[in-house]
Amino acid sequence: MKSGLLSVFLLTSVTTFGADDPAKLFEVHCGACHAVDHMRVGPSLVEITGIYRNNPDGFVQWCVKPGHKRPGVIEMPSMAHLGEPALRRIHAHVIAAAAGKTEQKIAGGDPYSIPRPMLRRPQVQRIFLPDASPAAIAVALPGDLSYCFDAGECRLRYLWKGGFLDGFSYWKGNGSEIAKLDGEIIYREEAFPLTGDAAGNETRSPKFLGYNVTKDGLPSFRYRRGGITWTETIQALPDGSGIERRFQSDAQVPLTLATPRNATLSSSHGQPTLTAAQAKSFTLTLRWK
Amino acid sequence: MIRSFAILSSTLALANAQPFAIEKMPNPPGVDPQIGGLAVLPDGKVATAFHRGEVMVFDPATRAWKKFAEGLQEPLGILAESPSSFLVMQRAELTRLKDLDRDGQADEYETVFDDFGISGNYHEFAFGPARGPDGRLYIGLNVASNGAGVRPEIRGKWSDIGTLDRTQMTHDAQWGKRSAKAGRMYSRVEWRGWILAISPDGKSMEPFASGLRSPNGLGFDPQGNLLVTDNQGDWRGTSPLYVIQRGGFHGHPASLVWQKNWNQGDPLRLPPAELDRLRVKESARFPQGDLANSPTEPIAIPDSWGPFSGQMLIGEMNQPRLVRFLPDDVAGFRQGCLIPMFDGTQLGNGNHRLAFSPDGTLWVGKTHLSWAGAEGLVKITPSQLDRLFTATSVKLEKHGARHSLAITLSQPLAKNTATVKVERFNYRYHQDYGSPKTDAAPVEIGNPEPAQDGRQLRIPLLAKEGFIHRIDLSALRDTQGQALDGRVLYYQATRLP
Repeated sequence: MKSGLLSVFLLTSVTTFGADDPAKLFEVHCGACHAVDHMRVGPSLVEITGIYRNNPDGFVQWCVKPGHKRPGVIEMPSMAHLGEPALRRIHAHVIAAAAGKTEQKIAGGDPYSIPRPMLRRPQVQRIFLPDASPAAIAVALPGDLSYCFDAGECRLRYLWKGGFLDGFSYWKGNGSEIAKLDGEIIYREEAFPLTGDAAGNETRSPKFLGYNVTKDGLPSFRYRRGGITWTETIQALPDGSGIERRFQSDAQVPLTLATPRNATLSSSHGQPTLTAAQAKSFTLTLRWK
Repeated sequence: MIRSFAILSSTLALANAQPFAIEKMPNPPGVDPQIGGLAVLPDGKVATAFHRGEVMVFDPATRAWKKFAEGLQEPLGILAESPSSFLVMQRAELTRLKDLDRDGQADEYETVFDDFGISGNYHEFAFGPARGPDGRLYIGLNVASNGAGVRPEIRGKWSDIGTLDRTQMTHDAQWGKRSAKAGRMYSRVEWRGWILAISPDGKSMEPFASGLRSPNGLGFDPQGNLLVTDNQGDWRGTSPLYVIQRGGFHGHPASLVWQKNWNQGDPLRLPPAELDRLRVKESARFPQGDLANSPTEPIAIPDSWGPFSGQMLIGEMNQPRLVRFLPDDVAGFRQGCLIPMFDGTQLGNGNHRLAFSPDGTLWVGKTHLSWAGAEGLVKITPSQLDRLFTATSVKLEKHGARHSLAITLSQPLAKNTATVKVERFNYRYHQDYGSPKTDAAPVEIGNPEPAQDGRQLRIPLLAKEGFIHRIDLSALRDTQGQALDGRVLYYQATRLP
């Protein structure tokens, strides 16, 4: 396998213009990402020397066909275009440049992270979130509750209690990692909490329409599902035992409340069924058990 | 007094001979200053979209930033409709940000268009929008990378075309053992690798062109052509510039699974020669390492930029420069010449987004996205550009059985025409990642002949179809003794006259 790879590569390589000086080659093709003694975009020359000092073949093979080895670090692009002779010269240059140097530790962590008590609430952040479609939206409510609204499914997915998000590895890896929730999930919603009269249902996928930010900074999500256009605004209950969901809709049909497994759901109109007139504007109160 | 001051200032200008003042602007505090989008407002303020989702407006007069919106997902383009309405391309959708109560902050985040797939793969970036002469909004959707699989939940339609099924494509700890079968880059959800044209209200969409890989740069030229840059990788021997053809396939096969009535199975299994026959050819190519490794946004240079006006300026991430494109229409095809710009200045690398102010100021937004690059906003102020010596057009012409390159210059040439060197090379069109240079050879030229009172240089030669012709003009001087701004020219002879 190894030799096969190398021989295919040898056939395709030709000399390039001005490819003789390995320091110059390194500067143009490698230096933007690799520093001598500290991690930049990729590992340092000190670390690379530790791996490949006596293995120029392995070095060349990696440069020709790199993989994704380190979590949270960008995948290296192939350097196949340089050709094997140039890569061997770069290997020697890397070892020479790292001679006598030691790895310098760079402070890790998110330079822009905000400690929990300082976090501005409410706040909206679109980002990859666990257990949701890739079109997820995180919302921090005043207090200690946050929720995931899924703009793909057009519905609330779950709520968590504690802090908001750690998105550093998401932003650093351009989405190769998912944001971490800074807290514990306390409620998951399995399905949209309202169903309309069967005759008024449609099978088309839900359609996300966007959101408005209210005067107090809360998002009001707008979407179409089941042939009905909805607006939903979520607020925490003052005692933290649940949330209040303010709905407006253009429903022409009565609506029925779902019965979630791990929570109680009640409507501002008192009944598990809303008339078409009541469906225009109502509030659902959800308390988890 | 006045006279001596005038003499002093003109002496200084000559001594400095720096046609561009390059200045780094302050970053907004607490914001990751990687810039994904730039748009200049009529009053000269600069709307800037940042990596973690803020849109902030920079006032060049006070050098202060004001937040307009936040919470967007990796925005990679912004277009101003008015000081209170912006279009932003974020990962999951094209969004219109509206300030309804005119307090300087967006209160509506309207989803204009989200009818495309997201698999959750990290490489599915979304670029644009660029506004076409037809008023439509053009966006570009990156294909996925086999550095990872897809997420268990996706948005949009799934394509069953491919060696791996949906379960096998879903990322897990064993992904590395299957990844080679996914294709180096793949398009398993809708419109990945496509340019889409969208009506301003988002209600209608035309799948405009296919065959893109990583189209991080869409812009219209003054003639209304859509120019798109792409990145070196599989099926890109080196980074290309395309003049996009409506309905055309632009060389990266993964996207073909979404072609209407596609019935040829897995496009990655089509013979490369067949794909080569189907594809729209590059209008220019950026030699990797020599000119650019990761070109970005093309933008039209305004009239106030003297000898550069009407040309296209293109950003570059890895190398500390920008690149100009000078078009040449040959046999009905727009190809042309790439020329480095801002070499040897303080510009630096990471040049991601470009925007011109009405007064001619050029703004450069920098990013790195954890690859090579930089951060923050840079202001470039031109002065006395009319004195610059540079190539303003390069045309390939036919003379009997041979050709000539006619290079128009902004200043008259010195009497003694200096040495000109031309060489040519090519890159392979293949599935492998990148390509070495192939068929490199010097090109024999006849005596370069000055014409039009020294404002033009004609280089007789025999051009080779499909090749990049590297023209080294570093020995040229104008009558003032100046060397060229942009001394090496890369002419892409996709067609011959």
